[in-house]
Amino acid sequence: MSGYLVTLATIIAINAIVASGLNVIVGFAGQISLGHAAFFGIGAYTAALLATQAGWTFWAALPCVIVLTAFVGLLLGIPSLRVREDFLAITTIGINFIVEAVFNNFEFFGGALGIGGIPRVAVFDLKLRGTEFLCLCLAFLAVVIALCGWLTRCWAGLACFALREEETAAASVGVSPVRFKLLAFVIGTAMAGLGGALYAHFMRFISAGDFAFPLSVSLLSMVVVGGIGTLWGPILGAILIGVLPEVFRPLIDYRILFYTTLLLLMIRFQPGGLLGENSAARRVLARILPGGRP
Amino acid sequence: MSRPLLDISGLSKHFGGLRAVDGVSFHIQPREILGLLGPNGAGKTVCFNLISGVYKPTAGTIAFDGRRTDGLAPHVIAGLGIGRTFQIVKPFAQLTVLENVLAARGIHRYPHLSKVWSRWRTPAEKREALGLLERVGLAGLAGRRAGLLPLGNLRRLEIARALAVGSKLLLLDESFSGLRHEEIAQLEALIRAIRGDGLSVLLIEHNMRVAMGLCDRLVVLDHGRKLAEGRPAEVRADEAVVEAYLGRKGSAHAA
Repeated sequence: MSGYLVTLATIIAINAIVASGLNVIVGFAGQISLGHAAFFGIGAYTAALLATQAGWTFWAALPCVIVLTAFVGLLLGIPSLRVREDFLAITTIGINFIVEAVFNNFEFFGGALGIGGIPRVAVFDLKLRGTEFLCLCLAFLAVVIALCGWLTRCWAGLACFALREEETAAASVGVSPVRFKLLAFVIGTAMAGLGGALYAHFMRFISAGDFAFPLSVSLLSMVVVGGIGTLWGPILGAILIGVLPEVFRPLIDYRILFYTTLLLLMIRFQPGGLLGENSAARRVLARILPGGRP
Repeated sequence: MSRPLLDISGLSKHFGGLRAVDGVSFHIQPREILGLLGPNGAGKTVCFNLISGVYKPTAGTIAFDGRRTDGLAPHVIAGLGIGRTFQIVKPFAQLTVLENVLAARGIHRYPHLSKVWSRWRTPAEKREALGLLERVGLAGLAGRRAGLLPLGNLRRLEIARALAVGSKLLLLDESFSGLRHEEIAQLEALIRAIRGDGLSVLLIEHNMRVAMGLCDRLVVLDHGRKLAEGRPAEVRADEAVVEAYLGRKGSAHAA
């Protein structure tokens, strides 16, 4: 594989991890978040600082990165208990801008210069490059998909689905909205933290602009285009949103036109996303796999 | 007389200057069907929301099974064994009928973070949930998406969901409205069977024939206050009740 394709595939795999985390919050628990890039950034900055300042290896730092990101996710998930829908969307956008500004303006985080010199991930003495690092990302993606799949099958997931559908009714069957919203935020942001750590060690240089609001929109687009609330939707979305700009590169002046058209077509013909309920892909799958819920 | 299952005393809920419920007291005995009646805006649904914890009372106390419950969160109150339906139905629309009931069967797991990581789609759980759907006559629609059901079926689905939660008391908010004649007869039989299982039922009902025939006792509210209480025959003869519903004799504003 050429270096270009490996780089593209690695970015897509990392985005798929982060989008899957966002899907837990938005798709499973129904809490809109337009600030997911902030948690991606918190994961990346934590990993970068631990690697460059404290000299920790990727593997030693990873648990700390995930726990810290999830903890911040828990704190910033608290607004979701008080505000809903449009207001929550705006609150999460605000979180994104605040986190980006902190990274950009505090010397501790490298300020506008960002953080460079992040080492490659090493397994024993082998430094992972190119395809090897891609395999590492795909392995983590597999773990994330397995976790998300498990979540849809366990009672915690069912409680989140109930919350997403009808909060008052969910509370009437014993689902604590506080507990399960925060649970979704913690799981979703932990996955963003994992993606951030991989991103930092892949790019080896990060700056605040990498985690700005447009990335949050991009991540949410992946979830929506692929199929919100489905297991494989965010992965398909990450692939499409990752590949399309490359395919349309010759038409770069018309890129926004293509995006807009794509979005309008999605809303008109596949409102549940490409893998959503009643989507064309799902109907074909149902015909191939009779009786099975794909 | 045995200790009441639900004991409401001096219950008030004010929204700004509006006294939606104003000093209401009543109780429900175990195995009793109590009807909550009253004209529109009398405070019946607000009463339900106070009992189930959706609202916190401005004043007064609610005791369930000997324990104060006013001020507790809705999911905690549900966990004590109070199931409820909603006047404006609130199904989990994207889930199937079966999944709606299964979600309610998690009631005793949701409070413990250690118990929510096991599978919910087990044969035993499915059997139990199907049994509840059987009782309300929806077993044939178990795989259907709840959002696609007509209103009458949604009301029955909410009863099945409430049955999964309410081991002691069911609150049914206008469950009969929108049902056809034969469905009403089925639902009446179901509510009597539920009482036969040892549950108490508190129901809000506008259909007088149903309320009079089904309930052991009635409580009539008007403008947030208790107007009358007693057996159906007593309440029917109560002048204040007739006045609240039909207006004062000879009044220019009579309905």
